Amino acid sequence: MRQRGKFMFVVSALVAVHLLVLFAGFVAPYDYATQDRDHAYVHPTRVHLMDCAGRFHLRPFVYVTSLQEGALSDYREDCSQPAPIRFFTRGDEYLLAGLIPSQLHLFGVASPARLYLLGTDEFGRDQFSRIVYGGEVSLFAGLLAALLALVIGVLAGSIAGASGGWVDETIMRVSELFMAVPWFYLLLALRAVLPLKMDPVSAFILVVGVIGVLNWGQPARLVRGVVLSGREQNFVQAARGFGAGRLYILKRHLLPMTFSLALTQMAVLVPRFILAEVLLSFLGLGIGEPFPSWGNMINEAQQYHVLVSYWWMILPALVPVPVFLGYHGLADALREKLQSQVRFRGDK
Amino acid sequence: MIRYMLRRFGHALLLLVGVSLLLFILMEAAPGDFFSEARLSGEISPQTLHALRAQYGLDQPLPVRYLKWVSSAMHGDFGYSVAYNMPASTLLLPRARNTLLLTVPCLLISWLLAVPLGVLAASRRGGWIDRVYSGGTSALLGLHDLLLALLALLFALRTGAFPAGGMASLDVTGGLWVHWKDIGWHMVLPAAVLIVGSLAPILRHVRSTMLDVLDSPYMRAAEGHGINRFTLLFRHALPAAANPLISLFGLSTALLIGGSLLVEVVMSWPGLGPMVLEAILARDMFLVLGAVLLSTLFLIVGNLLADLLLYAFDPRIRTEA
Amino acid sequence: MIRSRLLSFRLAGLLVLCSLVAGAHAQQDLLVSTAESGIPGGKLVAALRSEPRSFNPVTADDQVSVGIISRVMADLVHINRATQSTEPALARSWTVSKDGTVFTVKLRRGLKFSDGAPFNADDVIFSFKVYLDEKLHSPHRDLLMVAGKPLRVEKLDSWTVRFTFPSPYATLERVFDTVPMLPRHLLEKDYLEGKIDQAWGLNTPPDKIVGLGPFRLKQFVPGERIVLERNPYYWKVDSKGQKLPYLDELTFLIVPSQDAQVVRFEAGDTQVISGLSADNFVALEPQQNSRHFKLYDAGPSLEYNFLMFNLNDDTQANAEVAGKQQWFRDVRFRQAVSAAIDRAAIVRLVYHGRATILSTHITPGNKLWFNKAIKPPVHSTDKAKELFKSAGFSWNSSGKLLDRAGQPVEFTILVSSSNAQRSQMATMLQEDLKQVGITARAVPMESRAAINRVLGSHDYDATIMGIASGDIDPTSDTNVFMSNGQTHLWHLGEETPATPWEAEMDRVLQKQLVTLNYQQRRKLYDRVQEIEAEELPLIYLVTPDVLVGAQETLGNFRPAVLEQYTLWNADELFWRTPAGKR
Repeated sequence: MRQRGKFMFVVSALVAVHLLVLFAGFVAPYDYATQDRDHAYVHPTRVHLMDCAGRFHLRPFVYVTSLQEGALSDYREDCSQPAPIRFFTRGDEYLLAGLIPSQLHLFGVASPARLYLLGTDEFGRDQFSRIVYGGEVSLFAGLLAALLALVIGVLAGSIAGASGGWVDETIMRVSELFMAVPWFYLLLALRAVLPLKMDPVSAFILVVGVIGVLNWGQPARLVRGVVLSGREQNFVQAARGFGAGRLYILKRHLLPMTFSLALTQMAVLVPRFILAEVLLSFLGLGIGEPFPSWGNMINEAQQYHVLVSYWWMILPALVPVPVFLGYHGLADALREKLQSQVRFRGDK
Repeated sequence: MIRYMLRRFGHALLLLVGVSLLLFILMEAAPGDFFSEARLSGEISPQTLHALRAQYGLDQPLPVRYLKWVSSAMHGDFGYSVAYNMPASTLLLPRARNTLLLTVPCLLISWLLAVPLGVLAASRRGGWIDRVYSGGTSALLGLHDLLLALLALLFALRTGAFPAGGMASLDVTGGLWVHWKDIGWHMVLPAAVLIVGSLAPILRHVRSTMLDVLDSPYMRAAEGHGINRFTLLFRHALPAAANPLISLFGLSTALLIGGSLLVEVVMSWPGLGPMVLEAILARDMFLVLGAVLLSTLFLIVGNLLADLLLYAFDPRIRTEA
Repeated sequence: MIRSRLLSFRLAGLLVLCSLVAGAHAQQDLLVSTAESGIPGGKLVAALRSEPRSFNPVTADDQVSVGIISRVMADLVHINRATQSTEPALARSWTVSKDGTVFTVKLRRGLKFSDGAPFNADDVIFSFKVYLDEKLHSPHRDLLMVAGKPLRVEKLDSWTVRFTFPSPYATLERVFDTVPMLPRHLLEKDYLEGKIDQAWGLNTPPDKIVGLGPFRLKQFVPGERIVLERNPYYWKVDSKGQKLPYLDELTFLIVPSQDAQVVRFEAGDTQVISGLSADNFVALEPQQNSRHFKLYDAGPSLEYNFLMFNLNDDTQANAEVAGKQQWFRDVRFRQAVSAAIDRAAIVRLVYHGRATILSTHITPGNKLWFNKAIKPPVHSTDKAKELFKSAGFSWNSSGKLLDRAGQPVEFTILVSSSNAQRSQMATMLQEDLKQVGITARAVPMESRAAINRVLGSHDYDATIMGIASGDIDPTSDTNVFMSNGQTHLWHLGEETPATPWEAEMDRVLQKQLVTLNYQQRRKLYDRVQEIEAEELPLIYLVTPDVLVGAQETLGNFRPAVLEQYTLWNADELFWRTPAGKR
């Protein structure tokens, strides 16, 4: 029972994160590209419940901050200008789910106050909003690439396992080749190759595709293993005895066996591919400006002057951690279920 | 045995050819070549550049270039770095050595740490040690290399306890021992990052493999016979668990070269990583080819080693082969 | 009579003394430095962004290799980076003929290479023979040609060489700066065997690399460092007669990233740092006292950053770009875009105030040629919109700019991903252009691929680039502004000027090349600047300041705005206190 509780917790947390990111426009108080040039490198806005005079307020609020005269990054709060945080408020326009224009935001403050929960970058862009939007890129890169790798892997693996013989041999040799290729290097080389005219979205899809295509090897081998052992199962042999064709057996009996493995593999591959996208963007070969991605935000953070002076810029590096933990937890839980299934079915 | 090894060598060769061909084609597809930047300075005429391009054979068609490269590779010449005006091998080997210097100790240390810990956790399954172990590995899995490298850099910058980059200091005078101590000091942070980053999957694997073995009937039987814990674990369980662990070890070598790329770039360790990145961006074809081939070679050697070890340890393989 | 005898004794004594002294110095024509005299000893460590590719002066063309070679070798005439005018180096003196075509040089006598072998005119003749050799394609060759014809070099005697230029050339002697003199006794054999371009590669044993520079190569550890040691045969002394250089060793560490360089400098591993970005400058400032170094802002550099539209002719193959060029070719479009750019914000955000807005390619750092009369560009979205309207553009309901045919104005801006500042400028420009309804997209690309697009395939819409002038004399940028120049970036491969203003520019540029009087040239070049500020083939953005730093005990540190910013006078650098030495 406790296992089930933990499992549900992890699944719902992951779902929540993905939903949050899907509705980035709503959750983020600002657009990811808006440059507030008077508020560059602002530290995270302080949210107050107690005002300068010591009075307590129920609704959290912020003070208007501005740059001191002649200073480069000395921002001071102005006690005479409090701005309450409002929920379900109007703000920058965005496209809900990419289609419907909307101006409704989960929370925000009225200008000239600013709510920069995680500070701003060198152009005065809100880091919190960028992290949320950036999640779209990084998370979905991982999901799509994993899906692709799995689809190819399951297909290849089940065909290999079910056919045997030279088909099996060749598929396995090819998968070895793909697994031997240091795919990250290939990815780097490929990304440097992409044409100029390609807009970021297409480039992104291509990169995702390549990550997926290069990594079908391991799922394929695992699926093949399952299929091979599945073939020996009594009921499959029985079906064959009844005259069932190879394709039918594959579809009706063998493939379903791979599902739980596939799910587990998803949970294993997604974080790996999210990391791949993050690394690619970090090295400057992923999605481009002004679109944020956790990777290119982390890239900004590694600069000396940022590490030394602007601590909040490192936060994008911390953000993937709970996501990874979530996926790994999910993978563990799924693996346990798989194990228990196998054990229940008997020794084979 | 010989046939087995020959078969593996054959596979290895095929792999090398496949990978090199793939890369050759990829590099070909990219726009731009090395001399583009020279042209911008405005001081070198296009004729000069054209001649230089011809000199390096960048004008000939792809298949010709590939075959030429293969034939020279047979003689140990891995092509010429257009950027550095040197044979690629003279550039790659010292860098590869630096990378190995960093990654081999890390690999050994992480396995040396993981195996006893994993065995311990598996043997005390469900106890508090096991729970801390599982919790710890789960937490570690979330910490990715990039975060760790950044934190290490930040730590070095703020505290100055360890150098924030490089492999050796300048003023080191003295004998070999002093030199090695200095390199060791520079190695601490990148190695720590690599070890912490790669520990978690190994820890988990050791534990789960041990658990599988401990659950198997013959282990239960041995337990039933009253054999003491220690002998059980190390004389019976571990050898049985060796097979999947050694295979994983073989796979770890793939991470040897590739996985350290990030750490080397962030922490300025003069290994293959930064050089390959620059070479890819500079379209220095032979250098990239050489580096990728080196990594593939390491993977293959690692796997071969793993196979050899398996052969030595696992009688089942011997009868199979 | 006695007085005259005494006098003649004294005269004789003086004569003897003089001849003794002259005799002593007759062996060597030394150059006396005018800098502050210092204390010999100590080591200096600096950082380099990448390894050198070669030590061969004939073929090396990248900044790093050339930098190292110029510490180890010497030229005939040298441009003093601080005063920006020429000084005698290996040439003791020279004369220029009235018509500006013949340059006769008298060499210093009695000089020796770093291996002790003597230097004379034969080495000079040999060096120029190699540089001018067509088959070798040395990068120096193109600089020693005027209007496509090479110099003629003749030996008049062991210490005199005559250079004849094919046509009058205004900046004759500046051409010889950083053209190193090669040791004939070591390289002639290689040259005759046709192997000189393979000589002096990175594997060469240090004692085989011989030159007349202040230092000689001591050790090269690939990927790590280059160590130079004092050249005992160096031909310069300070005002007290001490031999230069003061430093025992000059070491370059290879530190690929700027940030890593900053860390090493802060830690004291290196004592000089060059090419600081404004961000790092600001980050290092608070540490000056505690770490005993000083940061210097040497003022505006000679680097000009600009936005450029593709005005090439041969883009029929690429219909997309061709379609947009009808916008780009309209000068009002370019002027409108220029008005829409908030350059002040770039100076503030990207450079923390340490940059200057540019209106032409001559920056305020170039005091001799900067045209103060030209007004700097003003940021005004209203003015931009006015200009767009006058050119036939309009806006739709969502505020997007449309051309006459109703097409939305959209284009990509190519930028090199390796330059953080230009990438930042591109991001800011995107926002600025959004304010006037243009959808511009910044496309960072690896620098070689980006350059290939601009120079080779011409496959781009617009790009942000930066060029650092090689010299303050504008002749060094002729290739960019002459219609048939190889780096006439916006419109390459022109046979004849495409527009009347380009034709006028050509005429004026040609004239200033052969005009010998500075005032006249100045007037001509002012006209060139007026044209470019009006017609905007390149929309100039900003010029960054030269930002460097050094340990405060380093004497004679004089940062310059010309390469090599910090180490151009490495032979005169010294440590003030023994504590500053290592």
